[in-house]
Amino acid sequence: MESLTDASLKALSLLVSGDAELWAIISISFGVSLQAILYTTPFALLTAYALAHFEFPGRRTLVSLFHTLLAVPAVVVGLTLYLILSRSGPFGDLKLLFTQTAMVLGQMALSFPILVAMGHSALQSADQRVWETAHTLGATPVRAMFTVMHEVRYGLFAAVIAAFGRIIAEVGCSMMVGGNILNYTRNITTAIALETSKGQFAQGIALGIVLLVLALVLNYSLSTLRHRLAMQA
Amino acid sequence: MKPPLFLFHHVTKRFGDRVLLNIDEFAVCAGVCTLISGDNGAGKTTLLKIVSGLVKPDSAKVHVNDAEMSWAKARAKIQRKVVYLHQDPYMLDTSVERNVAYGLRLHKEPRTSIYERVAEALRWARLDHLAHRNARSLSGGEKQRVALTRARIVNPSVLALDEPTTNMDHQSRISTYQLIDELRNEGMAILVASHDQTGFTPIVDHHSQLVGGKLIAVETAFRRGRGTKITRFPG
Ligand SMILES: Nc1ncnc2c1ncn2[C@@H]1O[C@H](COP(=O)(O)OP(=O)(O)OP(=O)(O)O)[C@@H](O)[C@H]1O
Ligand SMILES: [Mg+2]
Repeated sequence: MESLTDASLKALSLLVSGDAELWAIISISFGVSLQAILYTTPFALLTAYALAHFEFPGRRTLVSLFHTLLAVPAVVVGLTLYLILSRSGPFGDLKLLFTQTAMVLGQMALSFPILVAMGHSALQSADQRVWETAHTLGATPVRAMFTVMHEVRYGLFAAVIAAFGRIIAEVGCSMMVGGNILNYTRNITTAIALETSKGQFAQGIALGIVLLVLALVLNYSLSTLRHRLAMQA
Repeated sequence: MKPPLFLFHHVTKRFGDRVLLNIDEFAVCAGVCTLISGDNGAGKTTLLKIVSGLVKPDSAKVHVNDAEMSWAKARAKIQRKVVYLHQDPYMLDTSVERNVAYGLRLHKEPRTSIYERVAEALRWARLDHLAHRNARSLSGGEKQRVALTRARIVNPSVLALDEPTTNMDHQSRISTYQLIDELRNEGMAILVASHDQTGFTPIVDHHSQLVGGKLIAVETAFRRGRGTKITRFPG
């Protein structure tokens, strides 16, 4: 087993030398998570708007359901998706297990409740007068919805950033439905898990640094958005 | 006299046990300015919002285009014709210019002509120096003036103004009275809820007071014939 100092130095050199394998792993992570966020956000925000805007029976139950779903561990989502996609499962014929598509689907399922829950609280905080103003000036319901979303945009960005932060750092689901195949479904978190179990720390540390920097950037953006939100109120 | 644009019948609204509104008849007529006064909490805002299609009454019939229908049925027709101005207007989180342009941008009109009209309206309202400021940073009176400009620019058939002059300075009040007089003479129906009776009495055609959920007509000494030119405004 190499010493920690050696491993760290090797990690830095991997990062700065542009090691092909390392950067392939990083780009798979970002590709999968960005796709998942991109596909989920419109549906999640529409759901959040419906929950914030319309009165219907069962609305509050639905809201608390989404808050409960936030706590579901990634491995459970992975397990469920695995069962659905495995050869004997209902969607086995699609042969999606151990593909990037499966990883995207898993991360979509993970990000949906965060986007809905945080989006809902942002939209709920919107002033009733926004909707009334838009409507009385002639906006259609859809236009009025976009106006309301625009007014609480910082809160909605915050939801997207938080959801992205969760899914890019998630390991359980990607491991189960992706299968950790090099250059295909091996992403940052599954690579770290694998390399560490092999006692090869350099790549793990390099990828860990990437995740840490990303976490810093995401948190900094979140706190900037929070600051904007506070200024707005 | 032309038939009313909208004739509301049996408008009732309650909050909990309290019957807030119980109005037999309320007419909205083109070219007529109606003042609604009443104590705080009398229900002026609620009545204007019902008449603007924003708040659902417990019951109400609306007579429109020679047909009698429920408020819910008439709602879309009402909303197309009425613009409501909040007592405490909401400024969208963008520039003053874009706030005023909001209603125009909803329709397919070329941008250049929209912004020409906006610039002209802002000049008229003496707000042109604020055009590029974020509207949320304005003072209360400035917000009211932006909101009034934003509402009149879409040229509705009915303008429902909720306390339009409360935060305004003397000069802005006078130009608001003049604007209302002008718009009314051009045929717009104008409803004003206000405590500023001395200011509005000279220009309104009708004045009703909301007491115990009912509208009571108020005879005013200033009651004027249609088309009279206003020359003096009380301070
Ligand atoms: N959504 C609501 N839920 C419960 N009560 C309400 C609601 N909206 C208004 N009310 C009540 O109805 C009453 C009338 O309110 P409204 O705003 O219409 O009065 P107003 O005549 O406009 O008063 P002001 O002169 O202060 O503007 C108030 O007592 C208010 O508390
Ligand atoms: Mg009021």
